[in-house]
Amino acid sequence: MANNHLTSESKQLATWYLTFAAILFGAQLLFGLIAAIQYVMPGFLYGILDFSIARILHINALVVWMVFAMFGSVYWLLPDETGIETIGIKVGKLAYWVFVAAIVVVVLVFLLIQVGPASDTTIWFITEGREYIEAPRWADIGIVVVALTFVANLFLTGMKGKQTGIVTVLMADMIAFAGLYLAGMFFTDNISVDQYWWWWVIHLWVEATWEVFVGAIAAYGLITMIGAHRKVVEMWLWIEVAMLFGSGILGMGHHYFWIGTPEYWWEIGALFSALEPLPLVAMFVHVLYDWGKTQGAQNANGDETSVITNKPAFIWFVLNAFGNFLGAGVWGFFHTLPQINLYTHGTQFTSAHGHLAFFGAYATILVGMMYLAVQGKNGIKVMKNTKTSIWAVSMITGGVMGMTVALTIAGYVQVIVSRAQMGATWAAYFDGQSGVWFTQAMDWRLIMGVITFLGFLLLAKDLLTTGKNPVHER
Amino acid sequence: MIDPLMIRPEIALADFLPIFISSALVLIFGGVYVGIYTAVKVKYLKPWAIIIAYGFWTLTAYCLYVMGSLMHVGDFTAKALVVAAIGLFLLPFAVYYMEDNVHKNNEHDTQGEEDGK
Repeated sequence: MANNHLTSESKQLATWYLTFAAILFGAQLLFGLIAAIQYVMPGFLYGILDFSIARILHINALVVWMVFAMFGSVYWLLPDETGIETIGIKVGKLAYWVFVAAIVVVVLVFLLIQVGPASDTTIWFITEGREYIEAPRWADIGIVVVALTFVANLFLTGMKGKQTGIVTVLMADMIAFAGLYLAGMFFTDNISVDQYWWWWVIHLWVEATWEVFVGAIAAYGLITMIGAHRKVVEMWLWIEVAMLFGSGILGMGHHYFWIGTPEYWWEIGALFSALEPLPLVAMFVHVLYDWGKTQGAQNANGDETSVITNKPAFIWFVLNAFGNFLGAGVWGFFHTLPQINLYTHGTQFTSAHGHLAFFGAYATILVGMMYLAVQGKNGIKVMKNTKTSIWAVSMITGGVMGMTVALTIAGYVQVIVSRAQMGATWAAYFDGQSGVWFTQAMDWRLIMGVITFLGFLLLAKDLLTTGKNPVHER
Repeated sequence: MIDPLMIRPEIALADFLPIFISSALVLIFGGVYVGIYTAVKVKYLKPWAIIIAYGFWTLTAYCLYVMGSLMHVGDFTAKALVVAAIGLFLLPFAVYYMEDNVHKNNEHDTQGEEDGK
């Protein structure tokens, strides 16, 4: 972009990370669309890009774009929070290119080679085969090196510069984030033991370290966008960390119901899963509370203008509070207790929860960070909504909500037909999927997926062009 | 000791929909309770509206009861749900108390700075 107002190398690196994240976001949606078409037309791209491969690319692109955007967000806020340039930024930039190269090669291997023999060669060079983290082992090692470089950048800068609450939380959180990835890098002969450790990556990332990360980013956003008082926001952040870790770590028990782990996990999972929505409700209130307080204080001084300095980003941040509550909270609580999870496990209910939770809890706030980066890069004082930004957020949110409702209906049919009526047999699985409610739900999921993808195209256009739009205050 | 019903809960076919709806309403009513409570405290709503907030918490607790009963949860899970209901009741009190105190402290700090103290 022409008007580059960035003076910090860390922020420049952040824009690289966020740009690649946006590209991968598009790839995620594209492969998701292909998989959705294959539910409706099973022969679509058969033998060229089977459902199994489209699904791998859809899910892994999701995880990786979010990791890219998280790294980018941290590189963006570090100079603001610590008051100094990120230490070791040159190594950080090198690590970025290593990360990008690794991801491109892995995607090409997934697309062009797809499967390999049942040997170590496949594990090392094609795929490790673990859902969500299917990257081959060489890429795993590369990702660990990149993550450690990122953590080193964060720690060295955090220790030398100003140690704000946000940076301190991020330092603790990111060391856990990087460390937990190691739990998904080794195999055991016992599938139960293997799954036990695999969930350390998937659950503890998503429902502990990622949620805490979101709390830290929301704190930064509230300070940056509405001028919320740092002491208030950081006090809240510590409470949130305690609540999220307190419920989220042992909430992992809800993944241990049916994988061969001891029965006490049913009770641990039930108790802590029931508590998991509490911090999400509180997070939702906190954002609205701080907004109201800050705006009220300004109005009391006779200034009726909005306190929000980046409206598109703020919309995405508020959506995050709603989406986290709905997607992770409501759609998670639906089926978190073992008595009902026995029936819902592995149905489209899980998929509905996954779609809304990942979108609501993470995608929203990371897109918000992209808008903050566009604002900073273009030297905009007050960034306003454009028609494109409003259409983009409406279509993406409407599309994801539509997909979630459609998948929930499909999941309900599976629960009733495949599980409750027919007892989860092989025949039941196919009967459940051939009913009219299920097939129509899948049609609607595809339609809503198309709307989401069109919304993404508008979002990409807005992110690329809004910086030059004269509507903003400079 | 594992409750035999945990092993095979035998949920009646007609109970699935009420279970899903009541579990969704637990958080929706809970969110409304917390929202109204906060709105009253920050003076967006009149003080009497707090009664409505408690009404929504009662609905939350009732939905938890319906959900747990239809699922045939065991003794331990029933206790866990009671803890969750109490936690949700206390949550806005605790959060508001802490937020408000930090705000007051900060307002005093700012006043002190303005006074040159």
